[in-house]
Amino acid sequence: MMMVDNHLQTQTQLQSEFQCWYPVLRRFGPDDPFFASGNIERELLAKQIALELTEEEKQALRNFEDDYREVFCPIVGCEATLRSLTEFEDHYNARHTSSCSVCSRVYPTSRLLSIHVSEAHDSFFQAKAARGYPMYECLVEGCGEKLKSYKSRHQHLMDKHNFPSTYEFFKKTRLSKKGRVKKNQRKQKHMAVDNNEKEKEEEESSGMEVEEETLDGIISGVSKLTTSDSSPSVISFGRRHTRGLTFVPRAVQRDTKK
Amino acid sequence: MADESAATPKRDPIKNPVGSTAAQKRKQNAVSVGKERREALFRTKRLCRAGVSTDTDIPIDDNDMMIEEEQSILESQTTSAVQELNLAITFQGKGAVQKKVNALRELRRLLSKSEFPPIETAIKSGAIPLLAQCLSFGSQHEQLLEAAWCLTNIAAGKPEETRALLPALPLLIAHIGEKSSVPVAEQCAWAIGNVAGEGDELRQILISQGALLPLAKMMLPNKGSTVRTAAWALSNLIKGPDPKAATELIKVDGVVEAILRHFRKSDDELATEIAWVVVYLSALSTVATSVLVKTDVLQLLVERLASSNSLQLLIPVLRSLGNLIAGDAYTTNAILVPGHEITDNIIRALSKCLNSEHRVLKKEAAWVLSNIAAGSVSHKQLIYKSEAVPLLLQLLLTAPFDIKKEVAYVVGNLCVAPSEGSGRSTLIFDHLVSFVRSGCVRGFIDLVRSADIEAARLGLQFLELVLRGMPNGEGQKLVEREDGIDAMERFQFHENEDLRIMANQLVDKYFGEDYGIDE
Repeated sequence: MMMVDNHLQTQTQLQSEFQCWYPVLRRFGPDDPFFASGNIERELLAKQIALELTEEEKQALRNFEDDYREVFCPIVGCEATLRSLTEFEDHYNARHTSSCSVCSRVYPTSRLLSIHVSEAHDSFFQAKAARGYPMYECLVEGCGEKLKSYKSRHQHLMDKHNFPSTYEFFKKTRLSKKGRVKKNQRKQKHMAVDNNEKEKEEEESSGMEVEEETLDGIISGVSKLTTSDSSPSVISFGRRHTRGLTFVPRAVQRDTKK
Repeated sequence: MADESAATPKRDPIKNPVGSTAAQKRKQNAVSVGKERREALFRTKRLCRAGVSTDTDIPIDDNDMMIEEEQSILESQTTSAVQELNLAITFQGKGAVQKKVNALRELRRLLSKSEFPPIETAIKSGAIPLLAQCLSFGSQHEQLLEAAWCLTNIAAGKPEETRALLPALPLLIAHIGEKSSVPVAEQCAWAIGNVAGEGDELRQILISQGALLPLAKMMLPNKGSTVRTAAWALSNLIKGPDPKAATELIKVDGVVEAILRHFRKSDDELATEIAWVVVYLSALSTVATSVLVKTDVLQLLVERLASSNSLQLLIPVLRSLGNLIAGDAYTTNAILVPGHEITDNIIRALSKCLNSEHRVLKKEAAWVLSNIAAGSVSHKQLIYKSEAVPLLLQLLLTAPFDIKKEVAYVVGNLCVAPSEGSGRSTLIFDHLVSFVRSGCVRGFIDLVRSADIEAARLGLQFLELVLRGMPNGEGQKLVEREDGIDAMERFQFHENEDLRIMANQLVDKYFGEDYGIDE
């Protein structure tokens, strides 16, 4: 199958072509922005006596040059322009870190977050999908297409929107060591009990292991992980140590340069 | 270039009490004037407010500099002054010369008073052709001086104001010859320096009109403010982007010798301007660089870097060293050989800069070190064992972003051996392990999180070294502990495809499904 070939090829690419650190001599032209603050300092120092610049004035002038450095938010689809790296950090934390209240996964936009919540934590969604309704939305905003399975949606993204399969980044959640061990045990148990059904489910939701379980399954899973001995039906907020992202970005189309 | 040394008692306007309130008012206005003032301040042009310092007999009325006058009054006075000058020029009778000098002097005073002289008014009233006339050959010394001074300050203004000097340029150049009196030559050089500072177009014109050679010759004497002014003007003239002027300059007889002599003997102020000339020579011209590295200049620069405490001098000295190292591998391979005294000295001097409070020095010193660290394994070992390392680690964690980035280059370069071919780079384990265990990973993860593409790439590349090179999965644990996985996962939604792929590769390979299961 086409897709398998792509996948294989990309696997090899992934393994062999990391652009490693490579020491080189770095040279800058005299007008390079790298030298800008030194050039400004030269002028400030040369003129300070003639113009009686005070230390405060000099500092204000230096800061002006330093801080005003336009930064474009690099998150796909976000067109924000920030005035400094600090502002960028604030912007990123405010806009691109919406986290799922159920599993603490973080998404860069609220739309993707809500798609995740439906697909991973909504049993109604699961039910409808199981009955064959096309429930999986295309991740590209404005496309509107809906697909019947996670995999077919992924195929749609590759076919219609040129998503490379490296994009198909099946993020496993990084549970704590305890969680990983337990998860493995659970997996073994389930496989022993109902092999066929499990495989089918896994196929459809490869990479979204939250889908392997129903909402109930998540709840009981949580209860096994928490150290408190309070009632197990409570899903605690932010219990994950680390977060995973299972979705491909929503737009890699004509307007992105690369 | 303002006269910074109070050589004669007259020239000490700063202590004038009458002026202090005016100065305060100016300062208050300074921040609010904002953009215009900033532009004026950052220009590479310099107003001449106190005249050239040598044995001139021009009286300067210090009070003038401090009295704050309404701009409009200043402007109308300027218009009158130009009219006076016009009359004086056409006047044929007795005392014509003195009339001209007086009129010129009045105009010069008006153009030297404040930070924002009435340049536009002067030009509009037709000052420039008149001033050009006053520069005609055979004119009296005082007349030449005052006229050149006026033109200097007109040229210190906005781009179109500087360009207005075009008709007068050949005359200004003519008067920087050896036959001119020293102050006149210096004042003309100053004016030319301002014109050159405007932009490439004017530079090319000046060069084609033959400004380079006479200015270069003015740099040859041992001392004097003339040498300093000439060096400054030259630095503006050769700053490119066309490297031709720089290449021409290095070939002028006596220039190289003069540069060395000035570095050896001259005071900080003169050495500063000479250093800027070397900055541009080394940044632009490979010919100049290869000539320079075969002289003692590196030695002299290192000595200055180590011994001076003047920020003004340190900046161009450091940058010259940086350019000479970056521009020609000969420097690192043949001169800065580990084991030579100069190599120890330069690392020590660079460490001093890393420890300085000045941002520019820290950043550019790290850049220079990163280039030395890009050399042979013995270079890396030398730096690794030096006093630079604790400073670098500290800066990596706490310094502002641009310094952090340069330091990252040093640390990374110290951990990777020069590559034999393509493929994975060879690690220097001792260095890597030591740096990682000293806590540097967090600094690199900060870079991964930034919006700067180059910094993020650096961060990811270093993380690859850590993940690949640290024994027993120590790298993975550390990266996870410092929220490195989270930082890498950000790239899932990043615009830059290279970074996305790099981050994916790392997470897939080192934090895949099997991560942690076998513990």
